[in-house]
Amino acid sequence: MPWSRARILEEAEKCAYCGFCEAACPTLPYGRHRGYGPRGRVALSGHLAAGGQASSEVLVSLYTCLTCAACTLKCPAGIDIPSLVRAARSLVAAAPHKKRII
Amino acid sequence: MVDVKLILSLLADNVERTGYPVPIDPRRIYSWAEPLKLPRGGRTVLYTGALYQLVPYINSLVRHLESLERRKGGGLALRLAKTVGRIVDLGKIVAKADPSEVSTVEKVLTSIANLLSAAGVEYGYLYENDLYSGVLLYDMGLDEAFRRHAGKVAEALKRSGASLVITVDPHTTHVLRKVFPEYVERFEFEVKSYLEVLAEKGRRLPVKTPSEPGYDVVLHDPCFYARHEGVIEQPRRLLALAGLNVKDPAKSGRMTYCCGGPVEAISPSLSKRIAETRLDELRAVGGRIVTMCPICYANLRRAGGEVEDIALHLSRRLLGA
Repeated sequence: MPWSRARILEEAEKCAYCGFCEAACPTLPYGRHRGYGPRGRVALSGHLAAGGQASSEVLVSLYTCLTCAACTLKCPAGIDIPSLVRAARSLVAAAPHKKRII
Repeated sequence: MVDVKLILSLLADNVERTGYPVPIDPRRIYSWAEPLKLPRGGRTVLYTGALYQLVPYINSLVRHLESLERRKGGGLALRLAKTVGRIVDLGKIVAKADPSEVSTVEKVLTSIANLLSAAGVEYGYLYENDLYSGVLLYDMGLDEAFRRHAGKVAEALKRSGASLVITVDPHTTHVLRKVFPEYVERFEFEVKSYLEVLAEKGRRLPVKTPSEPGYDVVLHDPCFYARHEGVIEQPRRLLALAGLNVKDPAKSGRMTYCCGGPVEAISPSLSKRIAETRLDELRAVGGRIVTMCPICYANLRRAGGEVEDIALHLSRRLLGA
């Protein structure tokens, strides 16, 4: 089932900021900042679940995740990072769309 | 970088209206199977989830996004909004799918069907009920759109009378096996990748003596098979059975490295750089590069890789076709 905000927060708060995940992430070496890596994405997922704003940079951070799960293998806290990111995306996607395309 | 909200809106609208993430003639999804005269439905069904068939059309869209990314003046988001802002325009863009790519994916699907038949698997096909799985909706966090779409897919599978569903790619395998049961009530189908089904047949597969000697292959494990679905050993066993020498790159199996494909529509340039990094690793091993996923195939090819789908190798070696 889709994760609740409380579940997203709980998962994000497991992060100890060790950064082991970052060595495994294929997008971080090509990104402009740490939001292109798992540690940044975990923090931003928590930020959104806590009611924070989804700026365009937050969206880019979440939506450039490959959900490849390479980071999860390295996480000592066992955070399911792809599922967390996907859950954060569902918060973004559920927000009302300002633009209708068609 | 593409306007994320624009892509989400486009994706949800397209799937809602047409059943597919990009506009495509639905006959294109199942026309490959018509010459094979596969029976309809049955207890075991082959379900492609349309991902292979969609790849040439998604490629066409990504090529368009790439060209917008390279152009100067205005943000990509604005240029995208101007050119693919309406479904009819998107239809024109994806209509430029490369015919050779269409032919290749149809050959892959035909090879998979022939391999299953040769292995003695009794199965039927879904034809017009071989609906898109909706995996992109799920990946993008479009939960309600995904739930509605998944319900339609589940109904089509139920109507077919199936209890075992054979899938052909890692993303569809994963979404059907792990995600559908969470979103669709009483989704009780057994789901197996064709690689798992063939590997179970093992030595019972009819191995024709290959006319050409065995060669080295470098296997690129797709993330969703290797890390989410535990499909690691089966393709290696099948390639070995086909007389091929499987060589692994430094990052393989559970420790594989992504092809970059999943972000191709959000950032074509980022996606390509990751594919180039992976290609360097694969090329360093030496051997023909083999993929098992249409997204990996398309993205590594887009970055200039000379890659080929595993089904084509197995079909040539085991069936002589």
